[in-house]
Formats: sequence, C-alpha cells, structure tokens
Amino acid sequence: MIDEDLANSILDLAQKKPRVSLAEVRVEEIRSHQLAVKAGEVNSNTGLEDSGMNVRIVLPDGIGFASSNNVSKQEGARLVQRAFKLAKSAKVRTPISLSPEQPVRTTWTVSQKRKLAEVSVEDRLTFLREIDSAVIRTKVKVQGRYYELKDYEISSYFTNSEGSRIGSFLPRFSLESQNLVSHKGETEQSLREFGTVGGWEKADEWRLTEMLPAEVKMLKDQIEKGKRVEPGVMDLVCGPEVAGIAAHESCGHPMEADRILGREMSQAGRSFVSADMVGKRVGSKYATVVDDPTVPGAYGYYAYDQEGVKARPRYLYKEGIINEFLQNRETASRMGTQSNGSSRAQHYLREPIVRMANTFVAPGDFEDDELIGSVKNGVIMHSFTEWNIDDKRYNQKYVSREAYFIKDGELGRPARKVVLEVTTPSFWGAIDAVSKNVKFESAECGKGDPVQGVAVFTGGPMVRLRGVNLK
Amino acid sequence: MNELSELASHLVDVARDAGAKDVIAEAMDSMVTQVRFSNSRIDAANWWSEKHVELFVAIGKRLMSSDIRDLTRADDIARGIVASASRAPESRTYGGIAQGRFRYGRSRIDAKLSSIENPSSYVNEAIAGAESEGANNVGGTFFIRRIQTGIASSGGALADDNRISADLSVRAFSQPEASGHAVSCTTHESRIKARATGERAGKLSVMAKDPVQGQAGKMDILIEPLFLGVLGHSTTNMMTALWVDIGFSMYAKKIGKQVASKAVTFVDDPTVDCTSRRLFDHEGVPTRRNMIISRGVLKTYLHNTSTAKRFRTKTTANAGPIVPSLFLAASQPVAFHPIVQSGDWTTGEMIEDTKNGLYMNNTWYTRYQNYSTGEFSTIPRDAILKIENGEIIGAVKNIRVSDNLMSLWKSIDAISKSSEEVFWWDEASPPSTLPSVRVREMNITRSQ
Repeated sequence: MIDEDLANSILDLAQKKPRVSLAEVRVEEIRSHQLAVKAGEVNSNTGLEDSGMNVRIVLPDGIGFASSNNVSKQEGARLVQRAFKLAKSAKVRTPISLSPEQPVRTTWTVSQKRKLAEVSVEDRLTFLREIDSAVIRTKVKVQGRYYELKDYEISSYFTNSEGSRIGSFLPRFSLESQNLVSHKGETEQSLREFGTVGGWEKADEWRLTEMLPAEVKMLKDQIEKGKRVEPGVMDLVCGPEVAGIAAHESCGHPMEADRILGREMSQAGRSFVSADMVGKRVGSKYATVVDDPTVPGAYGYYAYDQEGVKARPRYLYKEGIINEFLQNRETASRMGTQSNGSSRAQHYLREPIVRMANTFVAPGDFEDDELIGSVKNGVIMHSFTEWNIDDKRYNQKYVSREAYFIKDGELGRPARKVVLEVTTPSFWGAIDAVSKNVKFESAECGKGDPVQGVAVFTGGPMVRLRGVNLK
Repeated sequence: MNELSELASHLVDVARDAGAKDVIAEAMDSMVTQVRFSNSRIDAANWWSEKHVELFVAIGKRLMSSDIRDLTRADDIARGIVASASRAPESRTYGGIAQGRFRYGRSRIDAKLSSIENPSSYVNEAIAGAESEGANNVGGTFFIRRIQTGIASSGGALADDNRISADLSVRAFSQPEASGHAVSCTTHESRIKARATGERAGKLSVMAKDPVQGQAGKMDILIEPLFLGVLGHSTTNMMTALWVDIGFSMYAKKIGKQVASKAVTFVDDPTVDCTSRRLFDHEGVPTRRNMIISRGVLKTYLHNTSTAKRFRTKTTANAGPIVPSLFLAASQPVAFHPIVQSGDWTTGEMIEDTKNGLYMNNTWYTRYQNYSTGEFSTIPRDAILKIENGEIIGAVKNIRVSDNLMSLWKSIDAISKSSEEVFWWDEASPPSTLPSVRVREMNITRSQ
C-alpha cells in the first residue's frame, strides 16, 4: 500500500526550495514474476517485489531528477536535495517552461478477473508447456522453443506542486517466443511477443496453442516452397504486422517532439520532421496513423501520463498530412502548444520522456480480399524478421518472414525473404488502399539513456502500396 | 568483508537455514549521475540510487531468483523466496553453481573521480571542444557510475568489489545531415578527455559535410572502434552458451572452426583497467581473460557453471545477472569486456591502401534475418566518408550494410595498432576495447 502522505510530505520539502516552477513526486510499488521454459524445461523462475520513488524539480534554468528504491522520509529529503542541486547546476541559458495543464485528482485502474498475482507457478508452467507440446505436435523440427512469460502489477501515486494527485494500478503481462525452424538444411527464425493489460483471463485470447504451431508450419513452408522475387517494381500488400512496424518506426518515432527538438540526438537520433512541418504532406490521402494510449486492453495502455496529463488519441499523420506531434509538457511549451499526454517512464528510477503507446494505421473501407484482388503482379508481406531504420527515420528496411506472390489477384506460392528498402515518403506515398480490419502486435520500444523499454502495440489493417521496389 | 559482502553472506545463511541447497546473493549499492545535453545545452541532470540484493536459491533442481529491494525486510523476503523455490517446478537442465576456494584480486578506484561535484563542467568542455572544430549543434551524455558489490554463495564465493567509472558520449553536427560521434570511457578523472572528445566529434562532423547519396554495391569498409563495438554487442550475445543452445547463434557447432579471419583474436577480459572491470562474475567466480577467438578460430562459448555442465566444459566466469533485465534473459552468460587485439596498421595506412571504400564512424540498429546464419543489416550513422584511390574524397549518406556477420569477421584484412575503449548507449555495449578494422567487399544497399 503506497503511503500517499509520505509522497505529499516529500513534495512539501521540494516546494520549499527557491525558484521552483514545478516539483513532482512519484512513488511506485511493483510486483512481478517471470518464468521461462526452454525446450519444455524450466530455464528460469523469478519473482520480485519492488518499491521506490522519484523527485523531479524544474527551475527556470534547469531540470533535476533523482530516484531511489528506498521509500522513506529521510531518503525523500535526500532526493529533493539531490534533484534541486542537479537542476541548479544545469544553468541553462534559454528559460525552461512547461505547458500549463489543469491539475487532476483521480484514481485509475485496470481490472482483472483472475489476478496475475494469484496465478500459480504450476499454472504458468502448464500454460507454457501446452504451447511447447503443440509446437512439437506439428512434427516440424524446431530448435529453441524458448517461451518466457512476464507479468507486472504496478501501483503508483503521483503528486505535483500544481495540485495533481493521481493514483493508479496497472496489471500487464506478456509472452515472448523464440523458435528456429530447420528444414532441408536451412533455417528460419521467429521472434514474437504477445502482450496485454488486465488479468490472466486475457492469456486465452492469444490462442497460442494454435498461433505458434501455425507459425512454425508456415516457416517450414517458406523454406520448402518459397522462391525469391525477381528484383523490380511491383505492388505490395502489407499485412497488419508490417503496417504496424512502419507506423511505429517511420511515423511514431519521427513525430516525437523531443526527437524533433534534438533531445535524443546522441542516442535514438533526430527526425526528418522539423517543428514547422505540421500541415506538410508525407503520404497519400490513405495514410492516417494514430497513437492512442486509451485502446482498451492494449499493451501500451494508460489513462494518465507520467506528468499527470490525461491520455487521448493523437492523429500523427492524418490523410497523409503531418498533423500532431507526441508531446510532453516541456516540448509542448517550446512548440507553443499543450501536452497530449505522451510522457512515460519504464520504471520509477528513470526520468519520464516522450513515448508512443499504441501506434497504428487507421482503418479504411476495403475488405482484405479487395486489396489483393486488384494486384496484377505483386507480393503480400504478412510479417517481417530483419528490420531497421536510420536515426532520422527516413530510410527503412523490412525483410519478410511470411510472404506470398500475387498474380492476377490470386495468391501464389511463398515468396521468401522479400526485401522492402524504402524511404518514409515513398512508403506512405505509395498507399492507395487500406482495409477495414485493424490487428495489433505487441513490442517493447527502446528509447532514452539508459535505454527505457516501454510496452507498445503496433498495428493496422492491410495496406496496399503501388509500384514499390522489392528485391 | 565489508558491509555488502556481510549482507550477502548473511542472506546466504538465512536461505540455507530455510532449506535452500544452492544460494548466491549479490548485494549492490550504486549511485549514478548523468548529465544529458543536446543543441549545445544541458537538458537535464539525473541521479539514481539503488541498494538491493539479487538472490538465487535452488532446492535440488527447484529454482527461484529474486531481487530484494526492500532491505528492511530482507530476511523475511529471503525465506519467502526459499519457500517459493520449494513449490517451484523442477528445472531438469539445472547444473548447479560454482564450488571452490576462490581467490580474488583487489579493487582500485580513483577517489578524485568519486568526488566530482560538478559534472556539468565536463559537458561544457566537450561542447566547447566540438564547437571549436566547427560543429554548431552538440549533444550527448556524461555518466559517473559508482557501484559497490558484495557477493557470497553456498559454493564458497565471498568477495567485494568497488568500481567507479565515467563515460562521455558526444555527437556533434556541423549540418543537419553531417555529424560525428566520439566517446571517452575511463576509470580515472585525469583521463576524462572531455574537450578532446568534443573536438574529435566536431572534426568528424566537418569531414562529413555536404554528404551525397551513397551507392549500392560491394565495397571495402573501414570501421572505427565505435562501429565495431555496436557489432560486438550481437557478436558476444551469440557467443553465449544460452544463445547457442536455443539455436540463435551463428557460432553453434563452430568450436575449433574458422569464424573470423586469421588477423582476428578476440578475448573477453574484465581484469584489465577498464570501465567494466570486475573481480568476479555474478556467481562469484573470479573473472579472467578468456580467449574466445584465436587467430580466427573459435575456442569457446561464454559459460556459467550450469551451461558449462550442459556443454561438458568448465565455466568461463561469465555468469550473467541473476535477475533478467530488458534485453537480457535470466541465466544468460554475458561478456564483460570484449577486446579485439590490435594489429600493425595505422588508420592512415588503411585509408591509403584502399581503392574503393567507405570510412565509417558509427552505426546502429543492427538486426538479423537469421541469427543462426548471421544475415543482418546495420545502418551507418555519423561520418561516412568515401575513399577513392587511397584518399577521402567526400561524405555520403543514406546507406546500409546488408551482409552476413560471419562473412564480415572473416573479411577483416587490416587492424589498426591503436585501440580505444568504447561504450555508447545500448548499442556499443558492453564496454569494449577495440581497434579500427578494414573489411573487404561488404554489400552496401540503399532505399529506393
């Protein structure tokens, strides 16, 4: 149980420091469990209870952040002292300001029908071993078979000098799988993640005893029947997984305001987007990308961000036009706008920074079949393996994990390791149709220094790109 | 014994009294100061303090790991972990923990580094250095890391370690698409080359000015230590027994085989003076110099006691952290300080000897189509300089190295005399000491 009075008393200490324009205190309690199975055998079994707090002090010429896993009044006073000293030492020439936001007093929680904390190790192991057995039953030769289940229950209390007081409870869990399929002397790899917020009842929704056997059979098929494409210009239908990674990498990241302002310049990089590009075209009218922390059950779900700002959907690219950046209070102030609730931190030890939540291509009007039916010569890329993008988020590459040729509107044999290496405007500009059915994938997004991994969804419907270079 | 090893030893006793057979307790007390800067100004200063004990217990083959973060209840939590282990399912592949009478080296720390009061001054020096060479926009991070560790185990481990280090990363821009990156990693205050690091990043950013679109095709590449450090990240992961075991390694079944050119000797040595120096691994086994690749031939994987038993060999003292973290699995052995042995070239000689190539400062976002075969791509960033007939003739941009990692290591034909310690973000990690190398005929691709 979080001691809210303690947090408020530490905030009082912080507010008494001279020239403080904002002080924040966050206290967190985290219970987590991890179980990994390798080839059907327990590889690791970890459980922990964690608690800690942080203090952030904003002065007109510096920001200081201090954190500790010791929750006590004495430690709180030490953190206040340390954060204040660090803020003072920065001596920033351009005055620091934050966007004005209404103070919030609320509590938000995600409910669980079956609490994660009450799921026994035996039940977790049974869950993982059933997946393993189902994969074995396919008779596909699979090395690895590494399945790791992780869950967290995070209780948090946030208080700031403007009067916000926000309590929260967020249960979140995920499963990561690593399979390596061997066939006829060749191999294909599959690295998947499934994540959600809520209780254990959500685990069944993943249908992993069907999904992962289907995955390894598909990879065997890719090896056995797959053929490389003749490099050249053709049409490409991207499945939700590929549309989703593109939405995340070449829309979500370049639209982070801290990146645009250069704050990530030495790590995650900058952006091809500049602050004055709102209203500029980057894609076709079918290219709408949304980042929405409030999608129910989504892996990247939250109701209020780490600065106490209410979460809401953000339309990043809207009908191909740069529409809205992801903002925290500092970046919003520098750009003359309001925060849109994009401040997140992986853990109480780390400073909150601008992050995505659940980023996806917005649905269109077409049925999936219609997208394929009008392709004379092309490929459908359902999923990817290797991918990357440059640090200004302009040059990206996706290599297929599952792909098929399309000839005269009909699906053909597997197309193996199809490579799409494309610029951001070329990708989003080539879209001429988007289907109705949005699907999501789970991922951990890395940013910040030390790198902070945060839970996100990526997703979208099927999107059709006309005339792109494939190899 | 100091306070931390006493605490660790006490918790080993508590866990054993509660019924555990194998116990490892690693107590850590860390204070990290960070100054982040961008656009040639300081953005924020951060400070993290953590004191906790990672505990591993086994009752027969029933295992449980945890991180005791509330030390006021440490004994009760430790007993609870043993109780959880007693209910845990068996791990039939568990091979035990290290047993022995271990002898450890001694910690050495620079008190001057420990007492730095104003880390911002180093950042301002670095910014000034970069600007003096022509950069107009400078960003990066400066860390001071103080970490004390005490370890104890039921296998006989008992030791303390005290480490302090500083690492500065500077990325400088002279134009929006012209940048250079340099780092300085040290265990001594007097060796923090803040201004020189800034100057080097600034100089590279000026060399990278007015880049033109790079072309696809086969090309020789000269890569700096920072670039090699980024490739080292995934290379060393694939050298670990866990990755080999699950098939996600191009080194599987390659012991005794040629996996790199004869010019390459690759060791892991955390016993040298470096920012990742450590006296013992996370099982408490004294660290040592391990020859991983000798003249291109793979000699061993990285092991802890349990993986070593499975592979019928001995631990290499590379046991990783007890508790898994973001990109690190539990029970995964880890490299602590990779070193590629220096060669006999100067960087200038390598450039002069190259007819058609690219000189590359740094890279990022290295991803694999298939870890078991090594097909990958990585995206060079910062200065990418075009070499023609032994001379740098300008800068290029927007290219990718799309090739095979095993081929890359096998195609190294020149290694520099000089090497440096590099560590940058989660990319060039762990800290490593590396030379510059030339790689023949790598495949360069670009977006269409």
